[in-house]
Amino acid sequence: MDVAAHPVEEHAAHDHIHPAPEGFIAKYVFSLDHKVIAMQYFVLGLLLMLIAGSFAELMRVQLWNPAGTFVQYQTFNQLFTMHGTVMVWLVLIPLVTGSLGNMVMPLQIGARDVAFPWLNMLSFWLIPVAALTLFASLLFPTGAPAAGWTEYPPISIQEGTGTVFYTLAIIIVGISSTLTGLNFLVTIFKMRAPGMTWTRMPLFTWATFATALINLFATVALSAALLALFLATAFNVPFFDPARGGSPVLYQHMFWFYSHPAVYIFILPAFGVISDVLPTFARKTIFGYKMIAFSSLAIAILGFTVWAHHMFPSGIAPWLQIPFMILTYIIGIPTGIKIFSWMATVWGGRIHFSTSMMYALAFIGTFSFGGITGVYLACVPVDLHEHGSYFVVAHFHYVVAGGAVTAFFAGFYYWFPKATGRLLSEKMGHLSFWLFMIGLTGTFMPMHWLGLEGMPRRYASYEVFAKAFPDAVFWNRVETASSFLMVLSVLFVAINIVVSLRSGRRAGNNPWGARTLEWMISSPAPYYNFKKIPIVLDKPYDFTQPLPYRNLDDPNQDPYPKPIEAVIPRRAPVAT
Amino acid sequence: MAQATPSTPQIVPVKGMGPGFIPVTIVMTIINVAVALAVCYLPLDFLLPSESNPASDSAVSIDWLFKFMTVFGVAITVYVSGYVAYFAWVFRRRPDEDINTVGVPIHDAPKLEFWWTVLPTILLIILMALTIVAWKQIQFPTTAAALTTEVVAHQFYFEFRYPGMQGAVYSPKGEMHLPEGKPVKILVSSGEGDVIHQFWVPEFRLKIAAVPGMVTQLNLTPTRLGRYDITCSEYCGKNHSIMQAKLVVDTPADFDKWLAQARVTAAASGPAISLSGGVADTGKALFAQKCSACHSVAGGFDTKIVGPGLLHITDDPAHPKLVDGKAPTPEDIEEILVKGYVGPIGAMPNRQANGLSDADIANLVAYLVSLK
Repeated sequence: MDVAAHPVEEHAAHDHIHPAPEGFIAKYVFSLDHKVIAMQYFVLGLLLMLIAGSFAELMRVQLWNPAGTFVQYQTFNQLFTMHGTVMVWLVLIPLVTGSLGNMVMPLQIGARDVAFPWLNMLSFWLIPVAALTLFASLLFPTGAPAAGWTEYPPISIQEGTGTVFYTLAIIIVGISSTLTGLNFLVTIFKMRAPGMTWTRMPLFTWATFATALINLFATVALSAALLALFLATAFNVPFFDPARGGSPVLYQHMFWFYSHPAVYIFILPAFGVISDVLPTFARKTIFGYKMIAFSSLAIAILGFTVWAHHMFPSGIAPWLQIPFMILTYIIGIPTGIKIFSWMATVWGGRIHFSTSMMYALAFIGTFSFGGITGVYLACVPVDLHEHGSYFVVAHFHYVVAGGAVTAFFAGFYYWFPKATGRLLSEKMGHLSFWLFMIGLTGTFMPMHWLGLEGMPRRYASYEVFAKAFPDAVFWNRVETASSFLMVLSVLFVAINIVVSLRSGRRAGNNPWGARTLEWMISSPAPYYNFKKIPIVLDKPYDFTQPLPYRNLDDPNQDPYPKPIEAVIPRRAPVAT
Repeated sequence: MAQATPSTPQIVPVKGMGPGFIPVTIVMTIINVAVALAVCYLPLDFLLPSESNPASDSAVSIDWLFKFMTVFGVAITVYVSGYVAYFAWVFRRRPDEDINTVGVPIHDAPKLEFWWTVLPTILLIILMALTIVAWKQIQFPTTAAALTTEVVAHQFYFEFRYPGMQGAVYSPKGEMHLPEGKPVKILVSSGEGDVIHQFWVPEFRLKIAAVPGMVTQLNLTPTRLGRYDITCSEYCGKNHSIMQAKLVVDTPADFDKWLAQARVTAAASGPAISLSGGVADTGKALFAQKCSACHSVAGGFDTKIVGPGLLHITDDPAHPKLVDGKAPTPEDIEEILVKGYVGPIGAMPNRQANGLSDADIANLVAYLVSLK
């Protein structure tokens, strides 16, 4: 690099700041900058979310009538398979870990980038490759995979072509995810600003750390399972064929050994988002910092020990059910600690109802509800009834849409100004929030009683069930109608982004009066993030104390950051 | 924007637990008690099919657990969401407030944290104990089954099989019948070369997977006469959503009548292969070619390779009381060769899969009967 290219005074003693890349390709396409990569993940994730969401809408239209004549059965099977596959691997993981993790974590620890920027770029570019591989299955006459996102053999082997594309695509996602996990772990271990000890780390970074552990250690099991399924499908290797000494249940063990921790890959960063958003808008320190941080780790570790709770009626030995049930119950305890700590954080604060805060507050309710139905499913005898029914669909959508996606939007409204330098419209934000919450409740709440009454999931038509439970038609129509509100909400988010990028208010460094390091630099963050690496003296969250940082870039930094007044207009506040 | 002269934040103190905390708590508690009473004493048929008039013994214990969790689950949901909404509202920033007001800096409260860790733990331990009791009843029933039936799941129908080798009743795509008040054991398996299915009867609250190469089982006692839906709840392919059957719970007398009638029908349409022309030596050659990979003829039933040993099969004392407790007759052997077998000791392909002609079957039977 040409050192003379930029002014000498930008350098601290041992720092080495590369100049920002020039030209569209280096800047926006094959970028090494974690912030640009985060935005790439975001754009791709949102696009795929709309695609996978439209698959869901087609399914909901099919279920408007019990006879289900809108699409053919096999098309319906492909729709729910693609909806689940795309949402889990190509939307949630890129959005939550890829986009939020990349954008925020290096800034929060005072680093100039992640440890391995080239690896980071590779991780991102593997995602579009995986998406294209998955969608390439549409070019073949048998079409998209149709055996559900879990792709249990032998049905997945019977489906053939689609399964081959599915396994290849998800193995690629797995590589990307493992590399990201590795990259984030090294970044968090080695690149924290001086003075940022483990107990001074912002909670989103803590959550990212726990997530990265899962990414690194669980994804390999998934890759093994998918490779075995690929070989079984494409080359007739008898891993799962009982007639030749294999076992179909083996795949389920391998699959869920990853896929249960995978749930925590989306939900732990969500916990992190909530733990950062709540104190900022409650203007109050986070309650129980250490308990929240360590419970993330506890959940990450316990998450490896509960996989067989997905398989209670799958033909596993009965005695095996009890240890998995107990371990699953135990996860409820650290999760409960987090929820209570968030409630205690809200208590006694001065709440600013920004869009981000609305999502965060709603998250506490929707996520705890999804967590409680999880206890029902962990309870073996009750699960023997609920397994494979719409109750399960309701449960995991409350956790994923009500949990991970809701928290993602909280984080999105919170960090968008940092990423772009513009504020989003709060009015449209509130509109998108209410649409999303009403849509979420209307879509997924009735699924609980439909499932309990006996409606199995993955049914393209439910005529027999509708005879046994005539209200099923009414509730399915409520769900279909409500689900469109969620689509509308996501469209409003997209419109809000476009409008705000064109004409949104400038955000300034710190529009919310937040205290973590990413808010100490200009918005959008400069290419090199920090000219001088800050020194950290304490946890960031105590609003009554001056900022615990030295050596900040901005010499005029207010030691008591406060929100820009007009951003959160309940009514115009009295000037001080 | 950052101000040149920093102003220190104003802490807004809170009196007690905050304004209106006690009334809000009382209201939420009343709601929770009302819900708890409703869950315990009102019929929940809108949530669980025929909850007020259970169709099986397992439904009773499973519904009881469900209600226990619902009482506490609803209470936790109401308190958590209620307090979050209430705290957010009473502690909202007032319009006339300084922009730099902040909340009370409380970093932790060890006593409070201790209790909110310990109380849920105790609740979960109680739930664990209750669950284990119910689980043991369901998985390991103490009363011996009065009737054993078999369900074989296929793409995309259920096949039902009733005891009696020669008089076995297969009712493909038909109805399953069970007697009221008798403990039954249902053995569930998947057809040869088929995929995973699940046998679910929502009214019984039980389901179990039909896994290729495995025999799983359900134990229950039907307690109410009626017609119930059997439905497949594990995705099994294109027509998964129309894979259903009916379960009819009869009085024991009606059940016996139905079974006897079904046996007559089955016998009438039973095997029509003439066994008289079978040649044992031809059968021996065929056995070596088609059967010896799985069956030994060097020993009795316990000499297993994949399937049981077949030496002196017609009078083998080790032959289990697989079906009706009698040693197989030549017609029984023929039936297994024709229809194959899926059951507690494993699975054997049928004649189509093994490529057996009528003459082959006659020869094999003659050979097996000749082994002493």
